[in-house]
Amino acid sequence: MNKKPFSDESLNRIIKYLVIIILGFGIMLLAIQFGDFWNWILRAIKAVIVPIGVAYLGALIIFPLIKYLEKKGIGPRGFSLGLVFVLTVGLIFSAFYFLTPLIVNEIKNFFIDDFQIIVDYINNDLRNEFIFGADLYDRLLAYINETNIIADTVDTFVPNLILSLTNLLLPLLTAIALLPILLIFYLNDYEVISERIRSIIPAKHEKNVAELTSRLNVTVGAYLRGQLILMISLGAVATVVYKLIGLKYYFLFGFLVGITNIIPYFGMIIAAIPPIIYTFIATSGPGPLLVLVVNVILQFFEGNIFQPLIMSHQLSIHPIVIIISILFFGSLFGALGVIFASPIAASIRVIYRFFSDLRKEKLKTTQAEASAP
Amino acid sequence: MIKKERPKIYTKFEIDSVTFYATMILFIPLVLVFTYVFDIETIIDTNLFLIILSIITAVITIIGTTILLIKKDSLKRQVKTNYIYEFYYLVAIVVFGILGFVVLFDYLGGDRTYIANILILLVVIFVYILLKFGSKFFNFDYRKKK
Repeated sequence: MNKKPFSDESLNRIIKYLVIIILGFGIMLLAIQFGDFWNWILRAIKAVIVPIGVAYLGALIIFPLIKYLEKKGIGPRGFSLGLVFVLTVGLIFSAFYFLTPLIVNEIKNFFIDDFQIIVDYINNDLRNEFIFGADLYDRLLAYINETNIIADTVDTFVPNLILSLTNLLLPLLTAIALLPILLIFYLNDYEVISERIRSIIPAKHEKNVAELTSRLNVTVGAYLRGQLILMISLGAVATVVYKLIGLKYYFLFGFLVGITNIIPYFGMIIAAIPPIIYTFIATSGPGPLLVLVVNVILQFFEGNIFQPLIMSHQLSIHPIVIIISILFFGSLFGALGVIFASPIAASIRVIYRFFSDLRKEKLKTTQAEASAP
Repeated sequence: MIKKERPKIYTKFEIDSVTFYATMILFIPLVLVFTYVFDIETIIDTNLFLIILSIITAVITIIGTTILLIKKDSLKRQVKTNYIYEFYYLVAIVVFGILGFVVLFDYLGGDRTYIANILILLVVIFVYILLKFGSKFFNFDYRKKK
């Protein structure tokens, strides 16, 4: 007798998945027809989600500190919260107060002292020092002049940039304005809010959802804290090293290293480009090779000392996975996707591991039940 | 039968002593790293600043040693299987401390041409010390770690 290629059970399952996929496409098609309506709804949701999301991420960073204080007997919650809050606000304020004038000063000095030199270099000397030869430079210049490519790019890029900035600015400003209030309430009633959210979930799934949420909170919290420490440490080290080698705008370039380090692997490369270009053009200070060597060493220290030490082992994701997730989430969500690619990848891994553990546990229980007399 | 050598597990007192004295040795370089960024030499005379820092270091060392001696008995009763976080702390202060030593070299009028050489020398020395300390005191062998 011929064996059936599919059992009835697997056939049913295939049909079920096919129906789900077709229904999904149908819903998507229907949703596309009412694009304006969905945009309106999405804008409203975004206005709520952004401040709450930022407050949630802030709480993940701050809450362990409050818990630590409470563990040490510094309480009640209001007092420990107040203490941590005053400290955090004080730190942010003093960072702005001391660092902003330094950075502004360096930017101002750059435009006074070096901007004209760079413009002159591009207009006069670049042709002679062009790495592929003066002939290719002339052809490129002729092509640029002919096609008007720069003006066209600027014409399309600048309005797009302004539009995306305005779209991002309003929710961001609202989030910043609401953040302290939301954070205070959220941190004060952290357990109550978690309990309320948990009570919405059906009793059958409550335990599993609570476990998954707790694992996700730990992972994302550890990532955010680690990333923050990493950015500050690397920014500080880069600033000192840049100053030691005699780089002129060491504070600005060091700050850039700290900020861009929010993007794993690519951040350090992005931060290395401006000082290398600057030292290439500048007449005084260290050469571009030294700056390049310094950045390579910093990258080595970041990957081999800071990253493994600061980031906990649960976040040790393979570099290829991180790079793929940066490319994927970056193309999906833009700059925010690039920044949050690693925690999203880590969260996906946590979810996958959770369900894999769940399946193993279920299998074990089934086997134990089957073997029981 | 060859008996497998077990690593000695040190008490919290010994580990705290190591981290505290390491911090005190690196205290001046650690402060210098941050003051260097803010051009402290333009506000205060470097030599005077170094003297003040040395006095502060001495005072903190005396206070810390006293506290360690007072808490000696209770700390000697506390033992952990490994001291990874304490080791991480040590690595962090060493990284900034190395930079601080170079800043100190600069403040003391050293030739800037040799900064890279000094940096490499210091890194080699401190990495060796850290590896030794890690395996001896902190039960943390970097080479065996995945």
